[in-house]
Amino acid sequence: MRSTRLQALRGKLREFWTVYKRDRAALAGLAIFLVILMVAIFADFIAPYNPYERVGRPYERPSWKHLLGTNDIGQDIFSEVIYGTRASLLIGFLAAITGTAIGTVVGLVSGYYGSKLDELLMRAVDMWLSIPTLLFAIFLVAVIIRAGGIPMFYSVILAIALTSWPPVARLVRSATLSIKERPYIESAVALGASSTRIMFRHILPNVAPIVLVEVVVRTAIAMLTESSLSFLGLGDPTVKSWGTVLHFAMIKNALILGLWWWFLPPGLMIAVTVMSVMMVGRGLEIYFNPRLRRY
Amino acid sequence: MKTFLARRALTSLVTFIAIITIVFILARATGDPLTELENDPRISPATIAAIKAAFGLDKPLHQQYLSYLANLLRGDFGYSLHYKEPVARVITQRLPYTLALLVPSITLSNYLAYVIGIEVGWRRGSRLDSVFMSVSMFIRSTPYFWLAIVFLYVFSVVLGVTPLFGAVTPGRRFEWSLDWLLDYLWHYALPFTVLTFRGFLAELIYVRNVTVDILGEDFVTTAVARGLPERYVKRRYVARNAMLPIVTVLGMRYAFIIDGAILTETVFSYPGTGRLVYEAIFNRDFWLLQGAVVILAASVIIVNLVIDLLYAYLDPRVRYR
Repeated sequence: MRSTRLQALRGKLREFWTVYKRDRAALAGLAIFLVILMVAIFADFIAPYNPYERVGRPYERPSWKHLLGTNDIGQDIFSEVIYGTRASLLIGFLAAITGTAIGTVVGLVSGYYGSKLDELLMRAVDMWLSIPTLLFAIFLVAVIIRAGGIPMFYSVILAIALTSWPPVARLVRSATLSIKERPYIESAVALGASSTRIMFRHILPNVAPIVLVEVVVRTAIAMLTESSLSFLGLGDPTVKSWGTVLHFAMIKNALILGLWWWFLPPGLMIAVTVMSVMMVGRGLEIYFNPRLRRY
Repeated sequence: MKTFLARRALTSLVTFIAIITIVFILARATGDPLTELENDPRISPATIAAIKAAFGLDKPLHQQYLSYLANLLRGDFGYSLHYKEPVARVITQRLPYTLALLVPSITLSNYLAYVIGIEVGWRRGSRLDSVFMSVSMFIRSTPYFWLAIVFLYVFSVVLGVTPLFGAVTPGRRFEWSLDWLLDYLWHYALPFTVLTFRGFLAELIYVRNVTVDILGEDFVTTAVARGLPERYVKRRYVARNAMLPIVTVLGMRYAFIIDGAILTETVFSYPGTGRLVYEAIFNRDFWLLQGAVVILAASVIIVNLVIDLLYAYLDPRVRYR
């Protein structure tokens, strides 16, 4: 039993890989993303210094000792950028997972129960989508900080998650609407399965591809939102993400002083990472939706 | 068409009330606007109580909410605690800067994305297509504010051809003169260019994908098979049908104007509404915040209505549903 399942999984993975590797962009995205992931995981070994310690004089220019110079209090910028990978990826991913989870549950419930509840939830989604994302996220950060109880780091994640679930809810809902009409769901109802069981056991696996693609796409978007929030000074000041580094570069006049090594690399890292994540998402989408395949 | 309009108007009204209610609640969830005064030992508790009474902050929340709505109906936006001026005046001083910067740039970038996106989609698989796709993907992935910083660095710091910050030279007051206008335009050029550049390239890929989808439709194949001229198929069959999804997505950019404003105005130290709203949240300047959001919500609603009307105009099926 177990080994056949394992074999089936391996077969599926092989099939996935044959389709996935045909898309050059998706393949390149995956390669870039894996490198960036490695940097995040092994930041301790790659970064020459502890980015939270003063290791040089302030405002040093790039040199062999400090590849990207030092910031206004003598921290090594290269190490900041390396460690920033970890924070940026982690915040993006956690926010995406949380937001997608909320959206999936709302979508399942809305699509499965239908009628009044569906109407209500979808109205809420419409309303949510008409509020500008960044403004809403800023607002939520302010509210969550005030409410207290959770560390700043998670406040940002929660705020981003709370702004990002509605599109997911819409997608999952429309998929649920068609899946619930299938005969096997009727059988499950006839056998006396509870609504919760039907939603999570029988429908959820069928919307899993959508959810998976959404997690990836949302990660990219969440990373961009995080960078904006941190740039505006709303990030956790004790955690160095790329956005936070840019925030300090800006308020410490890196731009006017022409210290390009301070503000160019973090932004470039955000762009490259977000792009690679989007390309991976695109690759997954092509795999799950054969209509997008070009051959 | 009439029922369609009536239904849309009703939903818009509900959305509007919902948004201003949410803001009312969220604003109060960020804390007490008088914290600063309360912590100041020179101000007696009696004074604080008097200020609270004057602004109705001592009343229960539902009463505050009702008087807020009533005041809105009378066109009274309240008083900004931070600027010590009526909210309406604070906003009208800043709003023109934001609108004059963002509306034209969104319009121009939408237009460029639409026109060039269709051309690029038409040539799908070509060299041009892959170049535009890669550039568009990259620009889409850059944080907007960072792109603005890069532009500022190149044009203002390295080349020194554009100013570093502001909407006009510091200290300069508004006047109806060519001199003022030239100064304004000189400051305007860079933020406008960045906004348009990024908007155009970020939306291009979307228009291109919509176009490619439509090119796969049978009616296009039929039109080509009938031997219709390429230009005709492109304009009448592809561009026309591409318009529907594009109107929705590109139109919503007007509704999200404030997001762009917050970042642009932060990078360029531009005196607009974006920065104003941002600061109002953290100054707990409730009335200013609510006033700004009312205007924003109204613009979101108007944009949505216009999109719907355009939709009904472009697609007769919508009208008769």
